[in-house]
Amino acid sequence: MVRLQLDPFLNELTSMFEHTTEKGSVWVTLKHSSDKSKVQRNKITTAGKELEYKCLVRATDGKKNISTLVGTKDHQRFQASYATILKARMTSLKKREKKDKRKAANVVDKKLSKTTKAMNVDKKQQVPVKRSSTANP
Amino acid sequence: MVYIVPWDDFVERCVQLFRASPQNTRYVMKYRHSDGKLVLKVTDDKECLKFKTDQAQDAKKMEKLNNIFFTLMARGPETDITEVTGKEQTAQPAKRGRGRKQ
Repeated sequence: MVRLQLDPFLNELTSMFEHTTEKGSVWVTLKHSSDKSKVQRNKITTAGKELEYKCLVRATDGKKNISTLVGTKDHQRFQASYATILKARMTSLKKREKKDKRKAANVVDKKLSKTTKAMNVDKKQQVPVKRSSTANP
Repeated sequence: MVYIVPWDDFVERCVQLFRASPQNTRYVMKYRHSDGKLVLKVTDDKECLKFKTDQAQDAKKMEKLNNIFFTLMARGPETDITEVTGKEQTAQPAKRGRGRKQ
């Protein structure tokens, strides 16, 4: 397991995605961790001090393992870079949105046309009733 | 393995699981470009929740979940995530205000 700094980790992660385009998977694991052993943690808590927690991020392509710790201050920046990498790399997922929207739009249009036809019929029936009422006085 | 279909249920249960046992819960993502599949797993080694997809729209939802988990894990399980977007919104108006005064 190779422990890297934030930016080298992101670079290595990008190269992992590049290598696994044809074959293989990329696993990314996120875990809440203080990066200290149980003994150290107990010592710190008994001393009355607060434990500092970070986010441990691990990545592997099945052969190579890399990891990094993201602290409270860095997490916004890391989050943004990580999101960029994923958006750029996850291109083989299907895009079904347009077809779904077209189907949904067609169904909605059909329903609207049916309701407008019904309303037109109602109006025709109402008009003669109104004329007769005004003619009386 | 428990595969959850509705996305919102998955997110809610994941956050609950993390808040219940922050020391043991981990969030795993597996992406296969060759198959075009994405699988998410959240487990505390007792209970396991999974979500699989091949849809690009779910990748966007996953990004939001990533943000939630990063915030929870980096800042602590008690952080208020309502929402991760809420924090961004409160930051922006302050900057705009300074600009207008100038």
